[in-house]
Amino acid sequence: MTAGVLRHRQAAWGQGGARALAIVAVLALWELAARANADSFVLAGPVEVARYLWQNAPLLTRALGATLQSAAWGFVWGNLAAILLAVAVVLIPRAERVVAALALIVFCLPLVATGPILRVLFGQGNGPQITLAALAVYYTTFLPLVVGLRAVPQSWLDLIRSHGRGRMTQLIHVRAPASFPYLIAGLQIAAPAAILGAMVGEFTGAERGLGVLTIRAMRALDVDATWAIATLAAGVSILAYGGFGALVRRLRVESPAVLLTPPDHRHRRPPWRRLADIGVIVAIALVLWQATMDLFDLNPFFAKRPGDVVAFLLTGPDAAAHRATLFAAYGETLVFTLPGYLAGLALGAGLACGVVLMPGLATTALPLSVALRSVPIVATAPLIVLALGRGAVGTITIVTVMIFFPTLVACLQGLRQTPGQIIDIFDTYASGRWRLLRLARVPAMLPAFFASARMAVPAAILAVTTAEWLATGNGIGSLMALTASTSDYNMLWSAIVLVALTAALAYGAVAWIEAQVLAVYAMEQTVRR
Amino acid sequence: MTDRHKPWAGLSRRHFLATGAAATLAPHLARAQDRAVALQLSWLHSVQFAGSYIARDRGYWADQGLRVALNPGGPNAPVEPPVVAGNALVGISAADYTAAAVAQGAPFRIIAVAMQKNPFTIASLPANPVNAPQDLEGKRIGMALANMPVLSAFCTINNVDLDRIEVVPTQYDAAPLVAGQVDCLLCWATDLPVAMTVQGIENTTMIMADHGYAVHSQTYIATDDSIANWRADLVALLRGEARGWNDCRADPEAAARLTVDMFPDAGLDLATQQMQLDRQLPLMFSDLTDDHGFGWFTDDTVAANIDTLALLGRDVGPDLWDRTLLEEAHGG
Repeated sequence: MTAGVLRHRQAAWGQGGARALAIVAVLALWELAARANADSFVLAGPVEVARYLWQNAPLLTRALGATLQSAAWGFVWGNLAAILLAVAVVLIPRAERVVAALALIVFCLPLVATGPILRVLFGQGNGPQITLAALAVYYTTFLPLVVGLRAVPQSWLDLIRSHGRGRMTQLIHVRAPASFPYLIAGLQIAAPAAILGAMVGEFTGAERGLGVLTIRAMRALDVDATWAIATLAAGVSILAYGGFGALVRRLRVESPAVLLTPPDHRHRRPPWRRLADIGVIVAIALVLWQATMDLFDLNPFFAKRPGDVVAFLLTGPDAAAHRATLFAAYGETLVFTLPGYLAGLALGAGLACGVVLMPGLATTALPLSVALRSVPIVATAPLIVLALGRGAVGTITIVTVMIFFPTLVACLQGLRQTPGQIIDIFDTYASGRWRLLRLARVPAMLPAFFASARMAVPAAILAVTTAEWLATGNGIGSLMALTASTSDYNMLWSAIVLVALTAALAYGAVAWIEAQVLAVYAMEQTVRR
Repeated sequence: MTDRHKPWAGLSRRHFLATGAAATLAPHLARAQDRAVALQLSWLHSVQFAGSYIARDRGYWADQGLRVALNPGGPNAPVEPPVVAGNALVGISAADYTAAAVAQGAPFRIIAVAMQKNPFTIASLPANPVNAPQDLEGKRIGMALANMPVLSAFCTINNVDLDRIEVVPTQYDAAPLVAGQVDCLLCWATDLPVAMTVQGIENTTMIMADHGYAVHSQTYIATDDSIANWRADLVALLRGEARGWNDCRADPEAAARLTVDMFPDAGLDLATQQMQLDRQLPLMFSDLTDDHGFGWFTDDTVAANIDTLALLGRDVGPDLWDRTLLEEAHGG
C-alpha cells in the first residue's frame, strides 16, 4: 500500500466520520427540540418517529407505494413536457417569449382552482395526483434546460453552420451534450417536487397515499404519525436526489468548455415589437383558457371563462366592490412576497457559494436542504408559526424555505460550470479560493442563478398563498381558499388572473435585469440565431 | 367501474352511466341490471359516512339494482363541482354551503338531512372553559377565517359582543389550543375534541346547535336536473342510506369495525372511530327521526334554518329543500 492510497483512505474515513458526526448532531438537535416542545403537539423527535415507522410499516409501505407511483408518472410526464418545450424554444427562438410566458402562467395556477377541475375531468383514481406532480416539476426543468441548451461556444455553432447543417444538427451534436448537466440539475430539483406534488394532489379526494395519511394524522393530533410521514417523504426525496447525483458521477459528464460569445447588437428589439409580443401572449392565453374549458365542457358554475371575470371585475353590478375586496387581499400578499423572495434567493446562492468554498459543507447542508424542501409545508407551517408567530417573520420564512432549495441546486450546478482551463489559470497564479469564486465561478454561475431567480417568481407566489391559507388567514391565498365554502368561483378566477399577471410582470422584470447582466457576463444566453 | 380510472371518464353523468353500462358486460363486476351512480362524500373515509358503508356492505343498494361509488373528499375537494358537473348523482354538503352555491347559480336542492343538529362546537380546556356563549367574550378563538360568518351569526343569536373575541386564524388543528396559542377552537364536535380525548387531553365542548345555531349539516344535495330525470335512482340511494344508518345506530361497534376493515389504507384507528361515532349519532337521530325516519325535516326545522342562514348572509326560501324523494324512500 503506497502512502498516497493510505492518505486517500484516511481522507475518505475522515469524510465519512464527519458525515456520521453531522447526522448524529442533527438527530440529537431534532430530539432535543421535540422534547422541549413536547407539550405543544407540533413536533415529534426521531425516537418517536422511528417507533411509529416500525409499528406501522405495512400501512406506510402501501401509502408510500401509492404516492410514489403517482409521483413517478408525474415526474416522467412533467419532464418530458419540459424537454419538448425547451427544445421547441431553442429550435424556434421566435416562439420563446410566448412559450415561456404560457409555461409560467400554467405553473402559477393555484391548487384550489386546478384540484377540483382535475377531479371532475379524471373522476376517481390517480389522474389529478399525476397531473399535479407533473405540473410541480415541468417548469423547474424547462428553465435550466433552456439555459443549458444555450451554454455552447458560438464557434461550435458557426462550425456546424459552415458545414451547411441546420439547427437540428446543432441540437443533437452540440446543444444536447452541453445541456446535459443542466438537465440533471433540473431532474434533481424535480424529484422532491414530484413527491410533494403527488401528496398535495391527494388532497383532491384520493383513496390512499402519504398525503391522505398526513391529513388524517394532523386532524387526529397524531404528531408521531405526522412527522413519521414527513420523515418518510423527506427520506425518499433525499434518495431520489442522491440517485441523480450518483448518475452524474457514473456518466462522467464532460467538463464544461470556455464559452466566448461576442456581443451582438443586431438583434435589439424595438419597443413596439415587445408590446406586440405581450399582446400576442395575452391573446393566446385567453383563447387557450376559453377553448380548454369549452372543449372539456366544464360547467361554468366552477370553471369560469374570461368573459365571467371581465363581468365580475369590470362591467357587472358590484364590480367595484369585487375589485376592492380583491385588491385589499392582494396588497396584504405583496408585502410578504418580496422579502421572502429575496431572502430565498440570497440564501440559496449564498449556500451554494459556501459549499464551493468548503466542500465539506456539502455532506450536511445538501441532504438537510433536500429534507427541508421535501417535508410537506402542511407539517412545517404549524412549527414555523409556533416558533416565529403568525406575523411577517413566519410568512417570510415559509416563502424562503420554499424557494431557496431550487436556487441552491441551480446555483451549485452553475458554479460547477466554471471551465477547467480557467480554474487552472487561477491555480497557476496561486489565487485564493475567494478570488477564484469572485472572478471566475460567480460569473459562470450567473445564467443558472438568473434562471432560478425567474423560476422562483411563481414559486414565491405559490409559497405565500400557501402560507396565507395555512397559517395567517389573510391575503389572496386565504381569499382563494374561501371559495371552497362560498362557491365564489368568480372571485377565485379573478384572483388567478391577478396572480398570473403579477407573476408575468415580475418575471419580465427579472428577465430585464438578467439581460443587462448577462450581456456582460454570458453573451451566449442573449444571442438568438 | 373499470373505466373510471381512465382519464376523461367523468365528463358527464350520462357518459358515466354509459361506461358503467359497459362495465356490466363483465359479469364478475356487477349484475346486468345494475345502474351505476356516485355519492360524493364531503371528507376522507371515516365513520362520518358509516351508514353508507353498511348500505354497500349489506347490499341495500344492490337489492334495488343500484351500484353506488363512494367517492372520498378532502381538503381540496369541494363537493359542489362534481355534483353540478354530473360526476356524482348526490353530494354530502351542508345547508350554508348549499345556499352559497345556489346563490352562485348552482341548481341544488337539499333532499335529506343526515345531521339534524349542526356539529359546530366551541372546544376549550377545563382550566379555562367555554360552557356558555357569554364565556366567549375576552377569549382568543382559533379558527379558519372561512368560518367567520358562523361565529358572527352565533354571537348575534346569543347577544355576544363579537368585538370582545380575539380571532386567531389557524389551520383546522387542535395543536394551537393545546399549545396555549388560543383559549378555544371553532371545530366539529366529532373530530378535534375526539382527537384531544384520544391523546389524553381533557377538554370541554359546547355544541352551537344547543344555543340556537340551526343549520342542517351533512345534507344530501342533488341538482334539479337529476331530481327531474333520475328520480328512481335518487329514491333508491336515499332508501339504502336510511337502512344503512338505522343499522349503524343499532350497532355502532359493528359499524366502526366495518369502516376500519373496509378502508385499510385510510389509517383509521378503531377506538377513535368508535368514539367519533358515539358523538355523531346523537346529532343525527332525534324524536323527529324516530317518528318519521332517517334524514327527515319539517317546515319548522326549515324555517329555523332560514333564520340562521339569513344571519350568515344567505337569503334562501323553503324551496331550497325538497322532501318528496325522502317521502317516497320511506313510503316504498
